[in-house]
Amino acid sequence: MTGALDWLRRYGALLRAAWLQDLQYRASIVLWLLWGVTEPAVALGIWWAIAADGPVQGYARADFARYFFALMLVNQLTIAWDSWYLDSWIREGELNFRLARPIHPAHEAVAENIAYKARTAGMILVVWLIVAAAWPAVRLPFGAGRWALTAAAVLLAAAMRFFISFATGLLAFWTTRATAIMELHAGISLFLSGRLAPLALLPPAVARVAVFSWFPYILAFPVDLLTGAVHGAAVVRGFVGQIVWLAVWLGAYRIAWTRGLRRYGAVGG
Amino acid sequence: MAAIVTAERLSKTFRVKVRDPGLKGALAALVRPRYRDVHAVRDVTFQIEPGEIVAFLGPNGAGKTTTLKMLTGLLYPTTGRVEVAGFVPWTGGRDFKRRIALVLGNRQQLVWDLPPEETFLLNRAIYDIAEPAYRERLAELVDLLELRDVLEKPVRQLSLGERMKCELCAALLHHPPLLFLDEPTLGLDVTAQEAIRRFLSQYRERHGATVLLTSHYMQDVTALASRVLIINRGRLLYDGALDALVARIARIKRIELVLGPPPDGVTAETLAAFGTVRSFHFPNAVLEVRREEAAATSARLLAALPVADLSIEDPPIEDVIRQAFAQGLGDDA
Repeated sequence: MTGALDWLRRYGALLRAAWLQDLQYRASIVLWLLWGVTEPAVALGIWWAIAADGPVQGYARADFARYFFALMLVNQLTIAWDSWYLDSWIREGELNFRLARPIHPAHEAVAENIAYKARTAGMILVVWLIVAAAWPAVRLPFGAGRWALTAAAVLLAAAMRFFISFATGLLAFWTTRATAIMELHAGISLFLSGRLAPLALLPPAVARVAVFSWFPYILAFPVDLLTGAVHGAAVVRGFVGQIVWLAVWLGAYRIAWTRGLRRYGAVGG
Repeated sequence: MAAIVTAERLSKTFRVKVRDPGLKGALAALVRPRYRDVHAVRDVTFQIEPGEIVAFLGPNGAGKTTTLKMLTGLLYPTTGRVEVAGFVPWTGGRDFKRRIALVLGNRQQLVWDLPPEETFLLNRAIYDIAEPAYRERLAELVDLLELRDVLEKPVRQLSLGERMKCELCAALLHHPPLLFLDEPTLGLDVTAQEAIRRFLSQYRERHGATVLLTSHYMQDVTALASRVLIINRGRLLYDGALDALVARIARIKRIELVLGPPPDGVTAETLAAFGTVRSFHFPNAVLEVRREEAAATSARLLAALPVADLSIEDPPIEDVIRQAFAQGLGDDA
């Protein structure tokens, strides 16, 4: 029990430090928020124009609006910047003092993630509520069960994106191109995770490949859950996919961490 | 008493990629990479007792920091054995890390954008320090380090010296029995260097902590350490007291003279008859003579020349060390 309390206290302190740091950069918070809004807004604008003459494969204008608002929120709740942090920790030698402390550096990263997500997603939620008050198209069907499922799917997606980003950042132990690999990942996810279009609109050949990757599970699945686009067996399939890929990336992270540290210990920072 | 740090035949070899300069070299390195072994630390053995202050001394790249990193578990040795506070550092985990503090002079753990007290609070949680102990230790450290005026300023607005003081405060809140300080006075001005040294010796007196520091500032060593480990090109050249080293290496003494009027009576040639003239800018002169002749030469100088002041000194410790590096010291002491 005291163990749990200690962890609460540690996370409390890490979160406090993360939030206080954020407050030092109020202007950049607004910039990050704009960045988070712009991409889905542009995508929505394009699909809005395309759907002017009628629904595109079952998606009417209002469906696109709901989809991209949900995407905006889920993306902010699951996004992870850890590969950039790790890359600089490793290359600039800032990992040293973190390794000398009796707490795994990943906890600091998790706390930063919680702090960032609570702040940015909170603001997007407010924007969404204001827009929804004026524009019924983006309102969501309410259902406690669906929201609970969405929360679980968002949590799994956030964990997966965290481990993807952290494990990729750890590649900085071997290469100076770790962040470039993460950029490539982001580029692919633009198409395969549903950031540019709902996955239902992907060319069938691409869609067939996508389901065998982790990309649909980090964004498209929780977004579809939130907007009510998936039902029944597809929901179960989605969760299974999330859990399997989370396990894979957790494994990748653990291998990268132990091997990376061994290499770091062998060749130094 | 049992040693708190034991290093036995410690070696660390890095394998580094080598390539020739230019495009051709880059292409060759891509096709057939070549490696070279760098022996950062070679066969180093020493023990440190609880409560000692020991300085690692050596030029840049001598292997000081590599040794320190092996002792703190950041690097693992290629060969040899390390035991620190009863742990093998590399596998010691959380219990080991609670017993040490690592302060790196060129890297900081302070949160850059926040006042230092926020880092202290963070460490209170990370090291599970109870509130009353935290308050008491913070008060003591703030007092010893004279930090009252800087606690509320963001770290980025602090001077280098103030930042190092805060680093030390953050690193000592959990009262580690063992301190590893890598170049703690690097880049600081003389006043700040002195403040750090004064603090370290006061802190050790009060709490009996064992301190291992690396430095290439000789003053850190003369002011703090009872014992020096001189390391060069990865090898331990000397392990022992600083005075003993000076007596062993320095076969000469320096005689510093301040001459009285008239100025035209004394020339460099006159002085050369008494010893090697190191410098001569009237009225100041510095002569070097063999250690055993220092007293007799001084007497002759006083009799022959208009001397206003005379003192006999050991050569600057920097010179002694330079000499040690140049000549080596034979077998380890």
